[in-house]
Amino acid sequence: MTLPIALDAMGGDFAPGEVIAGARRAVDELGLSVILVGVPDLMGDPLGLEVVACTEVIAMDDDPAASVRKKKDSSLVRAAELVRDGRASAMVSAGNTGATMASALLRMGRLPGVIRPCIATPIPNPGRTSMLLVDAGANAECSAEMLVQFAQMAATMVEAHYHVASPSVGLLSIGEESSKGTPLVKETHQLLSALGTINFAGNVEGRDLIPSPVDVIVTDGFTGNVALKTLEGALKYVFSAVLDAVGTNEATKAAGEVLFEYLLPVAAKLRPESQGGALLLGVEGICVISHGSSNATAIMNALRVADEMDRDDVVAKLKATIRPDQVA
Amino acid sequence: MSADTATPLNRETILVLVRDQLAEILEKSPDDIAEDVSFEDLGADSLALIELVEALEENLASYEDGFHIDDEDLEGLTSVRDAVNYVALKLQVA
Repeated sequence: MTLPIALDAMGGDFAPGEVIAGARRAVDELGLSVILVGVPDLMGDPLGLEVVACTEVIAMDDDPAASVRKKKDSSLVRAAELVRDGRASAMVSAGNTGATMASALLRMGRLPGVIRPCIATPIPNPGRTSMLLVDAGANAECSAEMLVQFAQMAATMVEAHYHVASPSVGLLSIGEESSKGTPLVKETHQLLSALGTINFAGNVEGRDLIPSPVDVIVTDGFTGNVALKTLEGALKYVFSAVLDAVGTNEATKAAGEVLFEYLLPVAAKLRPESQGGALLLGVEGICVISHGSSNATAIMNALRVADEMDRDDVVAKLKATIRPDQVA
Repeated sequence: MSADTATPLNRETILVLVRDQLAEILEKSPDDIAEDVSFEDLGADSLALIELVEALEENLASYEDGFHIDDEDLEGLTSVRDAVNYVALKLQVA
C-alpha cells in the first residue's frame, strides 16, 4: 500500500486555505493520499482530509536551524518526522525554505556520504524536459567537492525522474572557457572534467538558464538563488509588459484576443506553480519545497512531484550515486 | 565513537565524541579535526552545529537523563575546544 504524503498545512503565503484546497485537488484529481499536518484551531475546514495535529508554526522569518530545535511540535518538524517514522512517503511544504531543509535534514538525516543537501529547482526548458538548477539556495558557501556532489545528485534525479539517459551537466560561470570564473568554479571544472561518471558539458552562462542546452546547471547556493530570482523577476516583468502592450488600443486588444490562445499555454508552462516546487536532494527521504506564494494548483503539482519521486525510487538511486568511500 | 554508560566519561572521551560526531556531519576524517580548530575553519555552518548539538544530546543522554544544550549557549561555542569544555562543565567531569 502506498503511504500518504505529509503536507505542511501551515506553510506558505496563502496557507492554510490554498494549501488545503491543493491537497483536496490532489486527492480528487490525481488520486493521491495526503495527510495534513497543522494546528487544528488555525486550519479551518480540512475538507475531509486526515489531519495530524500539532501546536506550533514556524514562521517565514524564523531562524531556520534554531526554529527546528525550539518548535519541536511545529507542522514542519512533525511532517518530517512522519517521513522518518515510515508513516508518510514524502513531505511537502510551501513554508520557510531554510526551516524545511533543516527539518528534513535533522529529522530524516543525511544520505551516507553526502556533505550537504542541496536544493534542485526545475526550470521549464522549451522543447525538452525541465532543467535542474542546483544549488538554488541551500548552501551559500560551497566547496568544489560539494558542487561535484550536487551535480551527481541532480544528474541522478534527472535520470530517475525525467528518464533522460546520461543527462548533461553544465557549470555556471561567466564564460565557456575553463579558465573563466572564480577559483571555486575553476576547481569544480577540473573535478567534474576528471570525474568520468558524469556527462560534463563544461561551463554555461546565465543566458543558458532558459532555454538551457543542458539538463543540469550546477552552482553554489548563493549564485543559484540570485540567478533563480533574477529569472523569476524577468519573466514576471515580460508577462506584465506583454499584457500592458496588448491593452494599448483597440487594435492591439483585437490582436491580443487572437494571440492569447497561443501565448497563454506558453505562459502557463513558465509559471513556477507548474513545476510543483524545488527538490531537496541528499536527505533520507523525499522533501519537496514549494514556492512561498503557492496557490492550490502549485500545491497539487508539488504533491504530484513528491509522489512521482517516491515511485521513481529517487532516494535509493541517490544513495547508490553518492558512496561514502568516494567522498573527496 | 558512540558514548555509552560503559565508557567512563572524562574530558578525553568527550573530545573523541565531539570529533567523531563532527567528522560524520562534515564528511571528514576525525584526524582532520584538531581541538583548537574553529567551527568556521572546519566549514561548519549553523545547520551543521545544530546537527552536532542534537547528536551530542542523543549520545550523552545515557550519562545525564535529558542532557540538553541551551540554544542561547551556542553563540559562545566557536571551536571544538569550546564545545568540549562546555559539555565537560555541564556534566561536571574533569
